[in-house]
Amino acid sequence: MQSILFWSAVSLYALATVAWFAWAATGKASASTAGRALLAFGLVPHAASLAMRWVEVGHGPYNTRYEVISADTFILVAVWLAATLFARGIAGLGVFVAPAAFLLMGWSVSTFDLKREVPIIFKSWWLFLHIGFAKLFFASILLAAACAAAWLVKDRRPQALRKLPSAEKLDLYAHQFTIISFLFLGVMIVAGALWAHQSWGRYWGWDPIETSALVTWIVFGLVLHFRVLHRWTGKRMAWLTFVALGFAVVTLFVVAIMVPTVHNSYMVGG
Amino acid sequence: MNGVLRFLRSPRLALGVIGFLAVWTGVGAWAPWMQPQGPAAPAWAVATGLSHPFTSLPFLAGIALLFAATLACTWGKRARVVAIRRGEMPGSAVRLLPRKADLDAFLSSEGFRGNGVIRTRFAFALWGGWVFHVGLLVLIAAALVQFSLHDSGTFDLSVSERASLAAHGTVFGRERGPLAREALPDVEVALARFDPFLHQHGYSQDRLSELDVFVPGQPVRTETMDRAAGIRAGDIEIFQAIPTGLSLTIDVQGLGLRAVKLQPESARRASAEVTTPSGTRVRFIVDAQNEIDRPGGEGRMLVWIEGPDGRSLVAPGAPFPFGTGTARMTAVSRWGRFTYTHTPGFALVVGGLVVVLLGSLLLSFPAGVVRVENGGGNRSAVLFVTRGGSAIAADWERVGSPTSRE
Repeated sequence: MQSILFWSAVSLYALATVAWFAWAATGKASASTAGRALLAFGLVPHAASLAMRWVEVGHGPYNTRYEVISADTFILVAVWLAATLFARGIAGLGVFVAPAAFLLMGWSVSTFDLKREVPIIFKSWWLFLHIGFAKLFFASILLAAACAAAWLVKDRRPQALRKLPSAEKLDLYAHQFTIISFLFLGVMIVAGALWAHQSWGRYWGWDPIETSALVTWIVFGLVLHFRVLHRWTGKRMAWLTFVALGFAVVTLFVVAIMVPTVHNSYMVGG
Repeated sequence: MNGVLRFLRSPRLALGVIGFLAVWTGVGAWAPWMQPQGPAAPAWAVATGLSHPFTSLPFLAGIALLFAATLACTWGKRARVVAIRRGEMPGSAVRLLPRKADLDAFLSSEGFRGNGVIRTRFAFALWGGWVFHVGLLVLIAAALVQFSLHDSGTFDLSVSERASLAAHGTVFGRERGPLAREALPDVEVALARFDPFLHQHGYSQDRLSELDVFVPGQPVRTETMDRAAGIRAGDIEIFQAIPTGLSLTIDVQGLGLRAVKLQPESARRASAEVTTPSGTRVRFIVDAQNEIDRPGGEGRMLVWIEGPDGRSLVAPGAPFPFGTGTARMTAVSRWGRFTYTHTPGFALVVGGLVVVLLGSLLLSFPAGVVRVENGGGNRSAVLFVTRGGSAIAADWERVGSPTSRE
């Protein structure tokens, strides 16, 4: 049943991708409406599959690559849908969100059958803040990068993605999502530090992921300083947003897969 | 003085320092010699301080410069925020020139509240940058205080063993800041129960200890502890660590019970060298049927003592020669490893972290102030927003009116 629900979500995300690409090619509003609805409907079986896994293994989606990436994808789609309620203009970002969701689900599925118990240090309430904000951080920086990508597309071909907001608005949304991801990253780091203090008596240990998260936070600080102090906007900021996304991906996934760290368990199967 | 302030406030310095710290931290943490069982640091790393990146002079100088630059940027920022809140706009403000459209409705649609000359949007969030920078200053200062005063160490305990942390030889691997107290904690602990492979529901097998804690002037407490959280003992906290091994309890004639903690030699063999009361060195060896760290149990074990006269089997409860006297082995159990920490200043660190997060939260609101002007019957506005000024100006322009920088 869990598998059927998971594949239902994957199928809906795949259909949403087709609909959004059709919208990008034709500009028909019906295609974007269908794409948005398919992504929203996809969340239902996706949530059910995650809940069933939670019940089965007795812990949340934060141990093994399948659980982590699948939950990250769910949060990405949910955050994008929620954001469109506040800024309708970014509904068109579905053209980036749908394929990203589909690809991420594809990455997660190869470890679908892997089930592991969590380490004893996961017996902490800080876990939910630390991991929850890590997922929100990933979703928000992906959306910032989607805004930056849309800006670049519009810059090169002004007639492309006509239904997306103006270049100024896209630049503003990219800035807004970057600042929000800076906040979420900060909460993730602080919650992790307090969790470490609870478990080991020290809030900082220069663990590779800890350090990578700090470097990423500093890089985000740099990016925001370029915006605020040097008033960088447009193309330069779009590329800097991709740099920030690169650091985020390295911190959240690459280090856990490639470097021995206390965080290895969450990407088991990586 | 003004030149120094200008230098410290310059955006290039801020970016340079932040960039340097990012690169140094990244290189320092990822360098091969910083990894567990990594190679020795090369000569160039020793020369530059990258052999110990986070206590090196360049790193500490970078932090000091960051502190100074942040302080210089924060100084006077409060007055600037107050001035903006009053409608005294900075040079980056945007002017919305007069046009036929309804300015009030436009400003309202952009989230500005009020109908007076000065209207605001998330005015409280104008303080975001100031709060964030103050938080950074508190955090840097707090981390320095905490680092200077912290004290930590490691100790091993066998089941039924009671030890004073202040006693010579109990604590090893001690790390303490330059201003930390020299004396070891006046705390005694006894390991009443230890399960190295307990399976708590929902979690993988891990250590669980039951410790009796003796703090002068306080009643004895018995605490159960796993690796999820520490326990408080006076002004220190004690934490369960991962390492464990076999332990022999030896009743030495005239001296009483002693715990001998064995270290693994191979998967099935552990040993420890001890000095007898007469000064000779002997070695205890345990050969186990299964792997010593097998959660299902070690199986049958043989205990040997090896000294100048050769090796002999030690039977449980039976006396065996030990130096010039005798001893008896009363139990084979396990030892567990523990750490203690004393972290004065940690509350200040938490305070700094909270203020930094509060500043980040405020920064996430798109704050703004607009000053509406009536000149010759034409209504215009001067607008300052923390971001999105050009987008608002473009929106205003889109309905037919030109805009310009003030």
